[in-house]
Amino acid sequence: MIDADYILSSLTKTFPNDLSESKIESDMRLTSYVEKDAIFNVCKHMLDNLECNHLSCECGVDYPDRNELEVVYHIASYEHPVVITLKVKLPRDDPEIESIVSVYWNANWYERETYELYGIMYKNHPDLKPLLLIDEMLGDWPLRKDYEGFPNKTSKNLV
Amino acid sequence: MGEVIENVGFTTTSAISDFLKKTPAQDIINWGRKNSLWFLTQPMGCCGVEMISTGCSHYDTDRFGIIPRDSPRQADVIVISGYVTKKYLPALKRVWDQMPSPKWIICMGDCSISGGPFYESYSTVQNIDEIFPVDVFIPGCPPRPEALIQGFIELQKKIMAKKDLGTDY
Repeated sequence: MIDADYILSSLTKTFPNDLSESKIESDMRLTSYVEKDAIFNVCKHMLDNLECNHLSCECGVDYPDRNELEVVYHIASYEHPVVITLKVKLPRDDPEIESIVSVYWNANWYERETYELYGIMYKNHPDLKPLLLIDEMLGDWPLRKDYEGFPNKTSKNLV
Repeated sequence: MGEVIENVGFTTTSAISDFLKKTPAQDIINWGRKNSLWFLTQPMGCCGVEMISTGCSHYDTDRFGIIPRDSPRQADVIVISGYVTKKYLPALKRVWDQMPSPKWIICMGDCSISGGPFYESYSTVQNIDEIFPVDVFIPGCPPRPEALIQGFIELQKKIMAKKDLGTDY
């Protein structure tokens, strides 16, 4: 039976230096920070050896106080009831991380959306272009906390 | 060969349309137009669900001549039934350009009036009525199908009163 304990021990055995602040919340939930150079290999290991074959979501978080961006991966499995949360810290002025599209194919659009909203550059992404926003808004990074490009003009139909 | 024909009464299309607009013939034309308001099935948000159910048999909009159409080439009315994102605006303009004149626009729901929950969002377009000639606004989030039918009836009244923006008088 593969549970959170088993996955954490397997990950720490394979990547002894790359995981930090690992926390087992229950049998089903595992949270860990991963070094940004190792995330591709960690994902590949989880897909190949741990049957974690479902990437639920991939998103970004902005922490302006720490001057950091985080990429959050939620990886689940169809074989056993475990959801693993992996977080990667990136510097805010040069966020760049390896794309995991070649491991989990559905990360393609997640990474495009995170790219256009947070400005996180994904290396080796097959087609990194905006997904939901127009091309002119590229570079604004609207979901960063210091974004100031809101229209700020009152709709004239409101009194 | 080469004869110059003189003193023949000419007429032009603009003269015909001027004649129609200035005589009661326009009232008859408007009567026909207002009773065949075919609207485009182009749902854009949760109001689109209400719009589709309005077009279904329960509300029987055929009695007003209101029929949903799938093609912009065959539609008279476009219902902006939701938020317009900046990405979607070019496609909406294209659909609007594909519709043959005379054509009318109904803004349905709070999103298309003022942005609604997406008020001052970074990715939605503010003030739709600056971009399109909107005839009727229907507030509500979402409005009930009865409200949409009333919006159509208000549009019919505007057409009969020659106050609509869709026709060039």
